[in-house]
Amino acid sequence: MAKKVVEVSSLVKQYGDLRAVDGISFELYEGEVFAFLGPNGAGKTTTVEILECIRPLTSGSAKVFGYDVTKREDAKEIKKRIGVLPQDFSALDKLSVKENIDLIGGMYEKKLDTMEVIKLLDVEDKANERFENLSGGLKQRVGVAAALVNDPQLVFLDEPTTGLDPKARREVWSVMENLKKLGKTVFLTSHYMEEAQVLADRIAIINKGKIAVIGSSQDLISEYGGLKVLVVRKGGKEMAKTLQDRFGGTTLNHNGDVFVKADDVNEMWRVLSTLTEMNLTKEIEIQTPTIEDVFLKVVGGRITEEGELT
Amino acid sequence: MSRTLIIFKAVTKNWLRSRSGLFFSIMFPVLLLLVFGAVFGGGGTSTYSLFIQNLDVDGTPTPLSEGFIEALNSTETFAIRTIPGDVTDLRSYARDVLGPLGGNIRVLAISEGFQNDMLNGTLKVRVGISYSTLQTVYEYFEPFLNETERMAMQQGIDQMGQYNASLPDRKASLTLILDASDQSSGIVRSIVMSVANAFNYELMGARNIVNFEEEPFTERQLRTIDFYLPGVISAFIMTNGIIGVTTNTTEFKRRGIIKRLSITPLGKLEWILGNVLSQTLLNLMLTAIIIVVGWLAFNAQAIPDIFSIVFIFIGSVLFSGIGMVLSGLIKDVEAASAIGNAIAFPMMFLSGAYWPVEFMPDYMQTIAKALPLTYFSEGLRSAMIYKYTEGIIINMAIVSVLAAVFIIIGSLVTRWKEK
Repeated sequence: MAKKVVEVSSLVKQYGDLRAVDGISFELYEGEVFAFLGPNGAGKTTTVEILECIRPLTSGSAKVFGYDVTKREDAKEIKKRIGVLPQDFSALDKLSVKENIDLIGGMYEKKLDTMEVIKLLDVEDKANERFENLSGGLKQRVGVAAALVNDPQLVFLDEPTTGLDPKARREVWSVMENLKKLGKTVFLTSHYMEEAQVLADRIAIINKGKIAVIGSSQDLISEYGGLKVLVVRKGGKEMAKTLQDRFGGTTLNHNGDVFVKADDVNEMWRVLSTLTEMNLTKEIEIQTPTIEDVFLKVVGGRITEEGELT
Repeated sequence: MSRTLIIFKAVTKNWLRSRSGLFFSIMFPVLLLLVFGAVFGGGGTSTYSLFIQNLDVDGTPTPLSEGFIEALNSTETFAIRTIPGDVTDLRSYARDVLGPLGGNIRVLAISEGFQNDMLNGTLKVRVGISYSTLQTVYEYFEPFLNETERMAMQQGIDQMGQYNASLPDRKASLTLILDASDQSSGIVRSIVMSVANAFNYELMGARNIVNFEEEPFTERQLRTIDFYLPGVISAFIMTNGIIGVTTNTTEFKRRGIIKRLSITPLGKLEWILGNVLSQTLLNLMLTAIIIVVGWLAFNAQAIPDIFSIVFIFIGSVLFSGIGMVLSGLIKDVEAASAIGNAIAFPMMFLSGAYWPVEFMPDYMQTIAKALPLTYFSEGLRSAMIYKYTEGIIINMAIVSVLAAVFIIIGSLVTRWKEK
């Protein structure tokens, strides 16, 4: 059984009448990538900042490496052991990449060689470039480098790809995959479904300060994702009618595409056999449910690109 | 290296590489010193243009009118140009002909008969003095005179009185036309009147009975530029703290840089101290550059000593402390800049950094006494220029107490943790 790195129990954060975090409990285990997935205002950053010891909690308990985040002396120990990429990471504009990482590294008694971290993040050709001249994706990579400079056991990545274009987002993903290979425990927050699904070992879907579901993406999809769907492109009305007679839940869209829902693998084989009997010459596609379907099911809405719940 | 020194190094480097930061912290004060020095405290004497119409001409200008113009010229204060004698309406001429030439309009008209009126006036005054002296003598000695002597003396005095009365009672006339909007008009009026008075006394043969000597306050020959130089330094140490620290820190806060640092083992006091040290270095650089520019451009005399350097350090702590207080209270960068300016600029002009507090009305002097810059600029001036120990100690004590108060409040309001 892996060691617990973070233990949160009945955590509450109250701002006046607003309960930003509403009694959540969860654990993080050594070496896993754990994602908090939720829309803006769900309580993701608030929770992370409580664990980073920069925001006080209202009630409940939170421990990192067994240290209590509410205790001053414990907070010092926690800060030595964590690396953080905050939301909207920024650094001193007129300093170079190396100088900015040196600055953060200089705050720790134990730190890695700056150039080693820079190489790890594959930004050595930009080491002497000023921070202000970097693209959004490179800035985030510098942020991750700064988060790793003290060789932390636990890395918090708060919305690491928000606002980045798809190419830059993929670059940051590859950096995060490398963190996993390095054996780091990663706490990721995101409102991007795909990001959480691709990168995280376990996902907690959080909304309005409460954790709706928690588990591996496969478990969540199996439990909440719904049925697999077989799509026959341009199958037409005739085929839709035939399949409808044999398999309930067959639908036709305005393009003539036919959708057949399958409860399990056996059902899927039966559908495919039927299509073979019909001498199918059309293109077929099997759609599996995603974490987005899970989110839709448990929260009852979707998250826009900007992170808003609709 | 300690965390404080790492912050100091990073913040200083970031500032040194910022063009706008360098301009407002170093170049702007230098430019201001050059302007102040050129306008008020440069090496040469200021000259004022003066147009003179001499109507006292008898073929050629009369000797006394010519002498008066030469006396004005000898003050080396005026660039004198003449207006032709045939101009009858001087005001129209000034407006239509001199106005388009640019600059302030200052016209002096020497009236016709200036020499005669001066000579007659001088004679009348001298006879009048003799007449009244004789009368006094007569009244004093009358009891000791016989009738014949009394008659003879009375007759002589009467004849002198009649002669005095027969002399025309006209004064030599000078007309000075000045523009009310001309800020130098007071100076010009005073100089022309001084020359006219000196001319009067000279013609009377009067002798100075009050001896006037001017001695410098210090052993060194100080000039106006020497007053401005510590003023400019102290004013910009103040703006670097109140505007610079406030806007930079608020910007760091807005961009999450302070939050990022607060997640590391860096402490709040280490952060504040790093920034104060950075400000101190910046202010020492500013002082060095201002002194070198002042010396090269105006031969200024300011000499920084150990007191000046300590003063600059304490001043940097004080004004950085005020900057920290403001940035702790203000969230928005634009608001921080606006409030920093709203505090710094009135303080700059009300505190006696650029001119003595005594020049200001009473109520403004009361305001000045409440401003930290008043004590800082006064103390720095005492240290750099006057070498006035009491002034240094008193002002240093006040500035030190204020520095401690503001740095404590600054550290209390600087948020190292989110709410």
